[in-house]
Order: sequence, then structure tokens, then C-alpha cells
Amino acid sequence: MRENLTFYLDRDSAIHKINPFTKLTLVFTLIILAFLVPYFWLPSIIFFLVIIPLSFTGKVQTEFINAVGRLLLPVIGFIFVMQALFYPTEGRLLFQIWFIDITVESVKYAFSTSTRILVMVSSFILLLLTTHPSQLMSDLTRRGMPGTLSYVITSTLQIIPQMRIKANTIIDAQRSRGMETSGNIFKRAGAVLPLVGPLVFGSIVDVEERAIAIEARAFTSPLKKTSLREINDPELEKYSRWFLLLIMIITIGIRLWQS
Amino acid sequence: MAIVELENLSYQYPLTEENALSNINLKINEGEFIALIGPNGAGKSSLCYTIAGFIPHFFHGELSGKVEVAGVNTHDSNLSEWVLNVGLAFQNPFNQISGSKFTVFEEIAFGLENIGIPRQEMIERVENAMNLTGITDLAKRSPYSLSGGQQQRVALTSILVMQPKVLVLDEPTSQMDPIGTRDVFKVIKTMSNQGMTVIMAEHKIEWVAQFADRVIALYQGEIIAQGTPQDVLTSPKLLEIGAGISRYTSTARIASQHNLWFKDKPLPVTIVEAEAGFLGVIYEN
Repeated sequence: MRENLTFYLDRDSAIHKINPFTKLTLVFTLIILAFLVPYFWLPSIIFFLVIIPLSFTGKVQTEFINAVGRLLLPVIGFIFVMQALFYPTEGRLLFQIWFIDITVESVKYAFSTSTRILVMVSSFILLLLTTHPSQLMSDLTRRGMPGTLSYVITSTLQIIPQMRIKANTIIDAQRSRGMETSGNIFKRAGAVLPLVGPLVFGSIVDVEERAIAIEARAFTSPLKKTSLREINDPELEKYSRWFLLLIMIITIGIRLWQS
Repeated sequence: MAIVELENLSYQYPLTEENALSNINLKINEGEFIALIGPNGAGKSSLCYTIAGFIPHFFHGELSGKVEVAGVNTHDSNLSEWVLNVGLAFQNPFNQISGSKFTVFEEIAFGLENIGIPRQEMIERVENAMNLTGITDLAKRSPYSLSGGQQQRVALTSILVMQPKVLVLDEPTSQMDPIGTRDVFKVIKTMSNQGMTVIMAEHKIEWVAQFADRVIALYQGEIIAQGTPQDVLTSPKLLEIGAGISRYTSTARIASQHNLWFKDKPLPVTIVEAEAGFLGVIYEN
């Protein structure tokens, strides 16, 4: 069983070496461009000409395409169908399913929404594949994000798989005392109930002990935290981030001015 | 010089009727290795939590009397200051893993990050601490992939690396095999020889007998005996409470009923003392 929920792949690539905050800024810039620039093909261009090439540079292309395919295609497919079917629009009729009119406009609208979501989620997947969560959190904490928030995020990535292991242990224990856990849907649903108590109450007790453990290691100390991880942040990247910020501001500004 | 001073200490957990600790008076000197023994529910953990500052800063309830560590009163301090002087490792290793780190090396550095130790010094201190407890080969593993005993060593190392003046350990070897236990006792003894004060609640009496400077027996929240391992562990009071008896002491006690142990010779608490005593009897016959 996996020990944590991270996507991260440890590869030696130029993308891995970029400062996590720069990558995060780039992700947000791409998302803002995809959502706010009214040019119809832009999200597709970003996906095919920026995000996919970047996944090759990061040496994670196979896993990237796999993840996008498995996570995103079903969602995008669903959105596309729903939008195309139910986006109420008057326009040139493309074809008709039963009593529903499918117009060219609704298909266009569905396409644009889907490609925007594709850019948003796939750019995050690429970020997570090439950035270790500790690296990202250390860098954000260094820049002023509260330590508690970064703790909550990184610990969730590990504690959820641990809870799953615990749930399995409880199920095994119940089963060894003769409880039915297989069979029809009602039997299986019934088997979940005895699991909830020990898992929830056990977790509450765990939280108290874990709080003691991290307090014992000065978690709430008012001293300024340092990081074991060395995080590169060359001058060039600082300028790049300002440049990306400028692009974001201009895009948002133009959009606001136009409306 | 006393580094830990407890005077007329009593404590009651919230929503309970009885005292978890009653009228405890205790002075612990710098560099001393103290073992707390007693049956379950005797107050060992409560005493550990009090010295480590979690009573009253984490567990509320009623605390009376004086608690001072390194000249600071617990009421004049807060937890994040207190833990810089007093380190605490407890029984359940699984819950002592911070949960936010992905390797053992990072896990051990967690406390040092929190108190702002510069990176280079942090790496040196983590490496030294791991060497000391013999877990260097675990550095790149996930803390969750380790066995209970390995996790306990990681938990202990995570506290040792903070270099507290006083180290409080609540059954730190409960999930360890005999060799692991012996190694940990040796490490703790080394730390105490180097000047760290150690207070350790422990059920493994044979190891306590061999390594501790002073043994304190607790029963129903009170100190019922204290002194050298020899004095306390052979005391008839321990027979009454049915805890904290070394198997070497029990063996010699039975042997003495059959005239197989010299009447004037004190009962043994370690294997070395038992061996010497029994060899004496054998050679005389």
C-alpha cells in the first residue's frame, strides 16, 4: 500500500530544479490566461504548446499523460456532454437528439469550458509531479504562509493512507470475531457501522497524542522557522515571477476594462 | 545542583474525582538518571507530563504545589519555552511521528526547523543524533514504513537532537526487542554521563536496575520508595504493590527460603549481582 498521497516523481530535470513558487506562479498565469483571454483556441494552444512540452522537459511525460487521461478525461467528457446538451442558446442547429437541440454555439461553449478546465487541472498535475510537497510547503512557509497551514496540508497527504491502513486493521479484527463483511450490499453496508466508532474515536485520541508530540518539538515556538530543504531562488526567477505577475494583472485589467 | 524541583505537588485531571498525583516532593540533580517504576495507573505518565510542562499547559485540571525546571516555575512559562529545556518522548511511537515529513531524516530535523536552527548546523546535529541511536541506515525511509521499535528510536532521536537539559521518557522501549532495549538504555546512560538529566518511566526492571542512578517507586499517585536501585528494588513495599520486581531478586528471594542464598547478603537486582551471589553459594558447598 502507498505510504503517502503524493504524485511527486524524483527525476533530474530542469523543471524539477525551478523554484516551487515560480512554478506555482506560472500555473496561475496559465490558468488566468486560459480563463480570461477571449481567444477561443488559446486554452488548447496552452495545453499542447506549453504544458505538454513542459512535461517532456520535466521527464514525466508518460505519468503526466496517464494522470491527465485517467483523472481528467472522464470529467471533461461529462462536462462537454452536459454543456453541449443543456447550454441554452439560440443558434445554428447542428443535430437533434430526441427533443434536445444541439447547436454549434453550445458545442463551441462546451469545448471552451472543457479546454479551460484541462489547462487548470493539468498544469496543477504537472506542478505536483515535478515538485516535492515538502519543497513547495517549505518555500511557501518561508514566504510567510502560516506554518500550521503547511503542516495541515503535508500531514493530510500522509495521514489519509494511514487511516486506510487502520480501517483495514479494524475490519480484520471485527472479521476475526465473526462479523460478516462480504456478501450483498446490505451486509457490507452493515459492516461499515462498527468500523466508524473505533476509527473516529481512535483518530481523536491520536490527534491528542500527536499534538503533544509536535508541541514537544516546539511546533508552536514563536521563533522564526528554518528549513532543512535547500530551496534555490536565483535572481532570474525573481524577475520572471514579476513578469508573470505583470501578465496576470494586464490580462485581468483588460478583461475588467472590456466588460 | 537540583535541576528539577517538585514541592508538595498534587494534580487532578479535569472531570475526575481522585488525584493522579499526591503530595510529591522530589529534587533531581543535573546529570542524574532517574527511573520511575510502579504499576499501571500509578501516576508515572502524569509525573512525566508534569515535568515536561504538558500538565498544566496542555492538560488542564488542578495543579497545586511547586514545579521548577532549571530555575523556572511552570506557571511563569509557556509550553513553547518549556520544551526547549525539557524533551518528552512517550510510549506510542506511531503518534509521535509529526506526519508532515516524508523521510526519517526530515522527521528528525522537524524540531530543529521549528526553533530556527540554521540548515548546516541542522544537518550536522541530525547526523550526530542518528549515529548515536544507530538509525543512520533509516535516513531515507518513510517514518510510516518502519516497525514499532524503529519508530520508537526515531521518536527518541527526534527529541535527543533538540539537546534538552532534561529528557523525560515515558516507556520509550515498550515496542523494542531486548537488543534494541539494551542499546537505547546505553544511549540514554551516555547522555546522562554527558550531563543530560534523564527521567524515565519504565517497566523493564532488569534494565532499570543496571542503568539508573536512582529509582522512584510510585503507587496511587504517591512516592512510596526512592533510592538506589538496590534499595528500592529489593524493598518489601514493592512486593505489596506487586510491581517493579527484578526476576533476579525474585529468584534469590525463593532461593533464600531454601537456604540457597546467604542470609546476610542483600538480594541481587542485576544479573551480575545474582551471578556473584549464586557462585558464592555453590563454591561454599
